[in-house]
This record gives sequence, C-alpha cells and structure tokens, in this order.
Amino acid sequence: MAVYRSSRDMNNYTEVHHDCANNFSEKRKHESSNESRFDYNFYNNDDGTVSQDGGEYAYLEQESAELIWVKESCDITINTTNTQVGVSLQAGLQLAIALVLRITIGDSDQGEAVAQDLIQQFDMTQSNRQKIYIYNTKDATVTTTDTDLAINIQVLLQLLLALIVIVDIL
Amino acid sequence: MSDVSKQQVSEKVVDLMVDSIFRKNGIKPDELKKNLSDEQKQMLKEMVEDLKEQVDQFNKRNTELTDE
Repeated sequence: MAVYRSSRDMNNYTEVHHDCANNFSEKRKHESSNESRFDYNFYNNDDGTVSQDGGEYAYLEQESAELIWVKESCDITINTTNTQVGVSLQAGLQLAIALVLRITIGDSDQGEAVAQDLIQQFDMTQSNRQKIYIYNTKDATVTTTDTDLAINIQVLLQLLLALIVIVDIL
Repeated sequence: MSDVSKQQVSEKVVDLMVDSIFRKNGIKPDELKKNLSDEQKQMLKEMVEDLKEQVDQFNKRNTELTDE
C-alpha cells in the first residue's frame, strides 16, 4: 500500500514560490504597492497543508510475467489464452465496482471515502512469474493458468454482488 | 478451490465488510436505493449478470484445465 505524503516536498515547493514572489514583486513594485503586499502575504505563508495523494484511490498492483522458451523442439502447442482472459475479466470487474459506487453514492467526498475504504480492504498485491523451458521435445502441449488471478476474480465478483444486493438491484 | 462451504464463508465476510464500511462512513443503504432510477437498476443488473456469467465460465475452464 502506498501512502504518499507530500509534507517533505512542501518545503521545497514553498521556497520556489518564495523566490518567484520576490522576483515578481520587484518587477511590479512601481505599478501597485497593494498588489505586491498581497503577493508577499500570499507566497510567504509557511503554513503548509499536508494533503494525501488521490493516487491511492485505486491502487492495485499486479504483475504477471510469462517466459516460455522452446529450444530444439518441434510440434509444441502453447496455450496462454485463459490467463489473458482472466486479466481482462479482472479489469472489467474493477470497472463495474467503481461504476456501481459512482452511480449510487455519487461524486461526493463521502462516496470517495467509501470507495477508498473498499479498495483498501480488498487491495491485493500479487506477482506471478512463470518460466517454462522446453528442450529437445516433440509433440507437447503446454497450457498456462494463473491461480492467483482466479482467486482475485472470485473475490472481486463477491464484492460486486454484495454491493448490488445492498443497493437492492438483485 | 471448488469447496462450496469455503465460498459461502467468504461471501459473508465480504457482506459484513461492505456493511461495516458503509456504517463507518455514515451511508444508509436505504438512501442509496433512492438514487437509482429503474432504468439504471436494470442496466446494472444486466452488467453484473453478464460479468457473473463470464467469471463462471472462466472458473469452469480453469478447473477443467487443472483436472486434465
């Protein structure tokens, strides 16, 4: 889970603006004294606000890497379709969950808080690496599946169904 | 994976969790129902049923492949 806090960067950020403000007010000094005072107050305010990055909202990390190496062989059939179907199915489910939340709770802060909580609870990080090495073989069939993905999809479907039942659609 | 009892348990866990998150954020399910028009309900229902069908097919194919 990545929680981004920008309090450390905030110092640099303020300083840059501080310099800008000085240059800016020097240039404008002769034009209007009121305006430069406003700039001074505005840019020299050191009360930094700590904000939480919205990137956390739908943070879901997934890595699926397949390496298939066929060497000195013939008539090898390799089937990875099911894994690919699973990945797109998972994306579809995530989209549907976001959609249901958006429509029912709306775009309010409250809705965003619920979405964040839900995604956090069901956040999963997974990494799946498969290496298949075929050497000196004839007439073999290889089919790859991804068990992690299958479980993920099951959980996401249950979450979607739970939401749907709560808002009385099913 | 194919244990029916296992699935039912996790279904309850998910229900409970969603309920508690709604409670925590002060959202009442009754109010949510009002936000939906019948048309939207129908569309969402179709979407979910479609996805459920796809997931079932995916699982079926997965178990078939591992059983081979």
